Amino acid sequence: MTMEFLNLKVPMALGGAHGKAPAGSTEGAGNRGRRIEQIALAVALIAIVAALPSLNIGYRFLSIAITTGYTAIALYGLGLQFGQAGIMSVGHAAMLGVGAYTAAMLSNHLGVGFWAALPASIVFAAIAGGLVGLPSLRVSGQHYIIITFCCCALLVICLTNGGKLTGAATGLDVGSIPRVFGINFDKLFNYYYLVLAALVITLGLVYAIVNSSYGRTLRSIRENEQLARAIGINVDLHKIGVFMASGAFAGLAGILQVYYLRHISPTLYGAFPSLYLALMVMLGGGRLIYGPLIGAIIVNFLPEVMDLNPVDSRIAYGVALLVVILLLPGGVSSGLLAIYRWICGRLFGRVSKAGS
Amino acid sequence: MAALEINGLSKAFGGVIALGGVDLSIPDDRITGIVGPNGSGKTTLFNVITGVYPPTGGSITWHGEDISGRAPHQIARKGLVRTFQQAMSFPGLSVKENIQIALERGSRQLRGQAPRWHTPEDLLDFVGLGGRGGDDAGSMPFGNLRRLGVAVALAANPVLLLLDEPAAGLSDGEANMLADLIMKLPEMGIGVCLIDHHMTFMTALCQRLIVLDFGTKIADGTTQSVLTDPKVMEVYLGGEL
Ligand SMILES: Nc1ncnc2c1ncn2[C@@H]1O[C@H](COP(=O)(O)OP(=O)(O)OP(=O)(O)O)[C@@H](O)[C@H]1O
Ligand SMILES: [Mg+2]
Repeated sequence: MTMEFLNLKVPMALGGAHGKAPAGSTEGAGNRGRRIEQIALAVALIAIVAALPSLNIGYRFLSIAITTGYTAIALYGLGLQFGQAGIMSVGHAAMLGVGAYTAAMLSNHLGVGFWAALPASIVFAAIAGGLVGLPSLRVSGQHYIIITFCCCALLVICLTNGGKLTGAATGLDVGSIPRVFGINFDKLFNYYYLVLAALVITLGLVYAIVNSSYGRTLRSIRENEQLARAIGINVDLHKIGVFMASGAFAGLAGILQVYYLRHISPTLYGAFPSLYLALMVMLGGGRLIYGPLIGAIIVNFLPEVMDLNPVDSRIAYGVALLVVILLLPGGVSSGLLAIYRWICGRLFGRVSKAGS
Repeated sequence: MAALEINGLSKAFGGVIALGGVDLSIPDDRITGIVGPNGSGKTTLFNVITGVYPPTGGSITWHGEDISGRAPHQIARKGLVRTFQQAMSFPGLSVKENIQIALERGSRQLRGQAPRWHTPEDLLDFVGLGGRGGDDAGSMPFGNLRRLGVAVALAANPVLLLLDEPAAGLSDGEANMLADLIMKLPEMGIGVCLIDHHMTFMTALCQRLIVLDFGTKIADGTTQSVLTDPKVMEVYLGGEL
């Protein structure tokens, strides 16, 4: 299924479709207009999400929102790798695992707390991402996807057999995040804001990457590796680069996960969580800036909203994925974008008619 | 010594000898043509020069530096940029973004010169695709796709542009427009090495022709002398010439 996905033609990326317009060109104004439109949308979304806890939404909702938040952070990394560079991974939970276990091991064995472990989690997960990316220079398509799956299984085996170091099958516990400016992160809504801040930073970084010349380079690799090489692009280097970026976001997600759950074990980072991450990116759409977030929201909130048990929800995901593959190959986000553009078109059509 | 010196270059694919010891010198200040029957090794020559395949034997020297065995992107950055026989683009992206990607790469290899094209629009105008920047590169008519392929290669800032059958599949009108475009390149400081079967197109553009047959060079000289060479006539059975 993933292979089909790699070859499907998807509408132009919201962020990626338009680059820097040359000064004085007629497109400049339209481009700037769109950018302002996007920033306004982002600010509005952040404001709504930030206001949620004050609406007395309950702890259950808040916990799901936190899970959605750190999952989305990991998905943004996977979105860069899959949506921009065109390389899918079904072992991405392993990258979260490296971030989470780095933090948990530093805490348990060296007494290093959250803030000092944060950069370490990001760096180690980035390195792990680069290492898992190495085989992609030799094999591609579904063959590489299988390799990512194997890497994930390998990590679970290592963690399970890591003895005291990794806590074996039982896993590891961590304490709470020390207060900063008197903020108590044991309070759920404070943790929610921490995750929200990390998510906003992630969104900003990903937006910048997608719209930079680096983002274009990644898309050129996705579309035609041979041509990219022929015009002087170091394809191998950029592939490893995007795997490391992808790993770094997963590392950030991982440390946020472990300090939220307070306890982690190897099963959190195995095949099933990995497949869920791949599913969420495909559902939401990897190429559009809100795709990963939408994917995370659907998969985390759907069972809650529809009151599904775990078995039913898995069936629902399967059906949802099939529907998306067949009807919306760019994911739900590209469908929403099409609807949004259509509505705008209708509105602007009316406005110009009224004006004339 | 010419810019690109090729000595005893050979390439075998298993038992198939695609290139059997070719000596060539290709300058970077004019248009050089390469012709030969199907399967004579023309595309393989480009593939080996640009690092797609390592040579089985022989050497490739570019401005005095041995480049055989280098990676394709390294060779492209030295100014040897090629197009593909199967017209290629970055299909899921807009035409403008296709050019922009190559311009951004090419602008890092200016070799002390001013950039020839500042914006994607400049280059699109130059290749006759002005106003097409917003089109999806994956759903262009074939003639436009060929031109986009040339534009992308030009954007990468070549010193010597290697064109693999750029006129294949084009109408006479489109081929003439392409010929006009190629003709302008040497005076802009871009050398051209051109493969094509279309003989009127080749004779109009090239003062010098190289003929390959079964992976060896059978003729090399002024277009007139090559066209009247009995060995060349024999290869083509008088038909295509
Ligand atoms: N990757 C490859 N693997 C195996 N054999 C190959 C490969 N590439 C080329 N060949 C063989 O090498 C020989 C030369 O092929 P090449 O494509 O260079 O010919 P050409 O002169 O470009 O022909 P045409 O005019 O049809 O484009 C052919 O016999 C071809 O089958
Ligand atoms: Mg050929």
